[in-house]
Amino acid sequence: MNEPNGSTEPPKAAHLVEALLLTSARPVSVGALSSATGLPEAVVRYTLTDLARRYSPGESGIVLRNVAGGYLLSTNPACSAAVDRFRDEARPAPLSGAAYEVLSCAIYHGPLTRSAISGVRGVNSDAVVRNLIDRGLLAEVGVDRESPGSPALLDVTEELLVAAGASSREDFPSLETLVSEEELTRVRERLRTAGEGPPAEPPETS
Amino acid sequence: MTLDPSGRALSNFTVELEVYSGPYEWLLALILKDELEIFEIPLHELVSLYLQARNPEAPNVLERDTDFAGSAAALVLLKSRTLSPAPADVEDGEQEEVSPEQLAEKLTRYLMVRRGAETLRESFARNAGHHPSAHLLPPRPGRLQIDPARILEAASRAFSRPAEPPVKHLGPITVTLQELASVIRTALVRGPVPYEELVRDMDRLRSAVAFAAALSLAHEGHLRLLQPEPLGPLTLEPAE
Repeated sequence: MNEPNGSTEPPKAAHLVEALLLTSARPVSVGALSSATGLPEAVVRYTLTDLARRYSPGESGIVLRNVAGGYLLSTNPACSAAVDRFRDEARPAPLSGAAYEVLSCAIYHGPLTRSAISGVRGVNSDAVVRNLIDRGLLAEVGVDRESPGSPALLDVTEELLVAAGASSREDFPSLETLVSEEELTRVRERLRTAGEGPPAEPPETS
Repeated sequence: MTLDPSGRALSNFTVELEVYSGPYEWLLALILKDELEIFEIPLHELVSLYLQARNPEAPNVLERDTDFAGSAAALVLLKSRTLSPAPADVEDGEQEEVSPEQLAEKLTRYLMVRRGAETLRESFARNAGHHPSAHLLPPRPGRLQIDPARILEAASRAFSRPAEPPVKHLGPITVTLQELASVIRTALVRGPVPYEELVRDMDRLRSAVAFAAALSLAHEGHLRLLQPEPLGPLTLEPAE
């Protein structure tokens, strides 16, 4: 008698990995794939490379993403209009500028407390933090025992890495590369001149 | 956006902003409840939306304009107050003097975070439109993965005794419940006494103890406490 899948052959490595990824809504690590399939990690990695070629944006309506330290099968963004119509789900409101700033604080300086976030931004950010926690993009990951009252420490979540298409925190460009030395010099110069009061009369030119 | 001439003045005024879409009155409520941050609301856009939706021929146009002007002015005030330093800090002299170097350092840090935020926004936009291949399954009983360190953390917070708050600044307590009970009894000889009048010349500690004494006397049946409405004026009346 044939197996339920109609074949007596054991499933191929690619089929096993593909099937597992299809059932998961969260990124699955190589270790988890190896453990569930019984395949060595090296074989899983090779299989994933092969699947990534098959599920690339130019080849399929499904894409394989390497995000948040694992692999995730998702729909191709090129098909998103049709998928959105079919699913008919309310889209979450887009994030505000303040929300992106808070997330940026958490990515580059996290884990950190609410007051540290407000300190960097210069304004109270509690409401924004609350919204981001509700949306699953920020989470409390511990407490800061050094500070009075042991406030909660906040850090980014797997959802944020998935939404940003990042495999880990290291995928984001370093802060030093985001602002040029020239720009920093301009800021310091502007502050220096502002501290000195109104500019002096320009020297007479002949 | 729409403006309905009938009903409450701004009840049908709806707005479409980047961070909010819906009735204007709900937007005000969300801001007041701190569900939305006032910094995120572009007030000039609100005014533009109102002007676009405004119908000068509507019968209650004056009422609607007045309501909108009042609420918009309140939002401007709230936003400007939130952006200004707290007056108490300035009065107490607690605001630290920031040197130009420290200010430059803070601005540099903020500028970098701001740039990081812009990069992140671009990353979100690039990666939008991905739908995962399956719905998230609830964890099976007994398979829930919990970080033991987090359990330990939660347990230690739940079972540890909070530190005693410092009370040295309160000074010695120089008033007793009996003393204030006696003051109340004396005052009640002349008939009912409003609580406000009873504690008018007392400091906060004495007025708090006077309230406790009044409760105690009422419990023992020596007086009655009359308060016609919640949070309304309280009157102490001798029991018959």
